[in-house]
Amino acid sequence: MTSSELDRTPRTLLVSESSSFLDPKNRISAQVQQLHFNHQVSVLLPECSSAPSHLDSVLNNFSSFYLIRKLPVYELLDRHFLETAVYHGAVFGLSYRTRIDEDTCVALMPNGHLTLSLDKDSFEILGFEGKPSRFKHRTATRFVVSVDLTDSSMAPGRRSYLRLLTGLKSRLQLQTDFLLSHHPGGGASLQPLLSRCDWSQHRPEVNCSVLTDLSCPAPRSCDPHSFLEWLGAVDAGISCENSSSSFLSSFVCPEPNTIHRHALSVSVSGMLLPHDIHRLLQELRRYVEQPRLASWVSMTVRGFADSPVSWSNHEHGFLRGGENFYTLMMFHDHTYQLHLATGAHDVCPP
Amino acid sequence: MKQVEEKEEASVYQRVVLKNASPYHYLKVRLVLEDESTRLSAVELKYFIITGLKSLYGEVGAALNFDVLKYDEDTLTALLRVYSRSLVKLWSSLTLLGSYQNKACAFRVLQVSPFLLALTGNSRDLQLD
Repeated sequence: MTSSELDRTPRTLLVSESSSFLDPKNRISAQVQQLHFNHQVSVLLPECSSAPSHLDSVLNNFSSFYLIRKLPVYELLDRHFLETAVYHGAVFGLSYRTRIDEDTCVALMPNGHLTLSLDKDSFEILGFEGKPSRFKHRTATRFVVSVDLTDSSMAPGRRSYLRLLTGLKSRLQLQTDFLLSHHPGGGASLQPLLSRCDWSQHRPEVNCSVLTDLSCPAPRSCDPHSFLEWLGAVDAGISCENSSSSFLSSFVCPEPNTIHRHALSVSVSGMLLPHDIHRLLQELRRYVEQPRLASWVSMTVRGFADSPVSWSNHEHGFLRGGENFYTLMMFHDHTYQLHLATGAHDVCPP
Repeated sequence: MKQVEEKEEASVYQRVVLKNASPYHYLKVRLVLEDESTRLSAVELKYFIITGLKSLYGEVGAALNFDVLKYDEDTLTALLRVYSRSLVKLWSSLTLLGSYQNKACAFRVLQVSPFLLALTGNSRDLQLD
């Protein structure tokens, strides 16, 4: 290997957008809603030691979700389930503990699209039309089957529907642990499906911590990579107090920086719906626009690393990492900075 | 006048796409030792990794700069930061480090990313019992 080959790393993208909430053409709502499968949201509130009650109630009221053990995937094609839940555009589903680079992954999106990411053998056994993964090697080893369940050709009883049903039921007999969520809450339409399976309900986990004497860089005078690195360091509890002669680490807070006496860091993790995240965004916006010591707040939303799709219906994969996250910095004057990051097996974020 | 107004509107919205622009890569690694009771301090760990770099890439490799951002002595898990162009060298020397103080050991590279934020919330760690 030549030294230039040793220097190479897989392609990554960081899209940085700055705009204003007052601009009627801002696409922030669409960008938030398009990431269907969110694993974690972390919020950093400088100069805050406890969340105000409105914000606290939003953070503690994220929709709960269900975990179904060994769901036979053909159950997602059940006629009653389609009519009461899927056709209403309300169901989010993702296979749990399946790795997109090794196993078969299944995703059900609120627009009624069912996506299966399969290896070559499973795809051939399933016997349904699909495409090779766009992130393919010289020979196609991964295939994606994407079906619009709301389309008339997939109505129960039609030929394509029966073909997929037979494929999942008899030929491939695909079974996976599955995370399922419903918006709006109250999964009454999910109950018939759940009653046939081994299921448990879970609430997203909320973790709060108060940080003291935090040195924060000025967001607008810092390049995006340095700022995101600093945010990651705050999240991980990494110290910025390193002298230039330190043996272990030379990591320091980007200049110019100010010391905040305290800051609140909150994270919510589980399977989070875009609607709840949008509600949190609106509440954070109301918070930062009031006169306060700190002039900004940040919200980082991380998608699932093993989801077959990331933004919209675009295919997502895992090469050396499955990162697909975005960080939103909101300022006192209604402006915002949005940083969207993806790894090698992803298309450019919206 | 109209042209100036249009320019003012245009300056509010900006979109920049940066490709492969992250100066650093971050690794989450765990050291697995044959003798599970052995403990290393952060300084000993960094020195151990430098010896690995030296044995594979020589003096020039040993001069490669990397940071131990965080270290947990109980689980022997560390967060490392390295320049992107040096990632392959560091990762390969971690892979080939096989013994610590004449006892077998292995580095498990748990996660690699050009973004530190990706390492602090990994959906693969989601545990629902």
